[in-house]
Amino acid sequence: MLLRESGEHYGETYTLDGVTGDGDGGVPHGRQLLDFAQAAIGGTEIQLRRAREALIAAVGEEGFVDAAGVVASFNAVVRIADATGIPVENFKLERTVEERAALGIDDWH
Amino acid sequence: MSGEKLSDLAPFAIRADLDRAYERAWKHLASPGTWWDGAHRLAMVRACREAPDCALCRERAASLSPFAVEGVHDSTSGLPDNIVEVVHRIRTDSGRLTESWFRRAIDGGLSETEYVEIVGVVSVATALDTLAKALGIPPRPLPEPLPGSPSRHRPANARRTLAWVATLEPEDVADDHPNPYGDKTPDLVANIHRGMSVVPAEVAAFFELDDVIYLPQFALKDFANEYRAIDHAQMELVAARVSLINRCRY
Repeated sequence: MLLRESGEHYGETYTLDGVTGDGDGGVPHGRQLLDFAQAAIGGTEIQLRRAREALIAAVGEEGFVDAAGVVASFNAVVRIADATGIPVENFKLERTVEERAALGIDDWH
Repeated sequence: MSGEKLSDLAPFAIRADLDRAYERAWKHLASPGTWWDGAHRLAMVRACREAPDCALCRERAASLSPFAVEGVHDSTSGLPDNIVEVVHRIRTDSGRLTESWFRRAIDGGLSETEYVEIVGVVSVATALDTLAKALGIPPRPLPEPLPGSPSRHRPANARRTLAWVATLEPEDVADDHPNPYGDKTPDLVANIHRGMSVVPAEVAAFFELDDVIYLPQFALKDFANEYRAIDHAQMELVAARVSLINRCRY
């Protein structure tokens, strides 16, 4: 939802192709960011090292550190949501119908 | 607790606020909590670290249903099996947790508040270790537990109306426990903040860290300003990918 809202602000159309596949979402350096996120969560040490180097080359060391923080945040906060059984707010469900369908989220539960 | 600062370990510049948040979060893990002492909390961190290599967890992750696979977890934490089960499942397969699984954890001897504090410890430990791994630095050696006893205070106004566990509405926060929502106005309190609010100190600790590694609440939709070296869209793209990997419905 925030990805779409930031696109609306910037006057850009960001897509979910990078999130689900091989695209870059239309976001600057999106491919390097996505490869890094993937490698940090489920990649081998070699994949992560390569993704780290590619991301630093693309966004610099400060941007890389900030991307690492986002990976850490979202790898953790999901556990609070899942383990306490909190529901998704209705307004979020209503505003993310298309995204949830595209990502297959509604099929998980 | 010194000598393990991120800035000492990383071969690149680390923001000062990130350095402080990392230290503060580790101190939180080693300190007596609301329902567990520091030694138990650090044992949970150890179990959390062992979970990805646990044979039972791997077998369950590969199974169509995790409930179809019985066995004993690999753990050197010294924690009872029921606590290791909770820690490992939250760490390795949180997307397939169910309310009936949660009820079995409670029926197995954990109080609701003890359970929620475990969720808090696992979440903070996961964030810290994921950050270190992503940055390419080794996981921090476990510190010594800090002395002291749990405070054992449950907010009287917490009720089970929203989630599997009791939660505390912003208007029900009282003076006899920490405010889990800090300076957030009620309209900025989301369900994710309410999740652990029956143990207010865990909410505060997690989101103090999260405000620094990700963004503070006020900045999430402030698209006119950028607060990090990558912009909002770049951050949200990363967030979306990690959430999808974790099958996060939230």
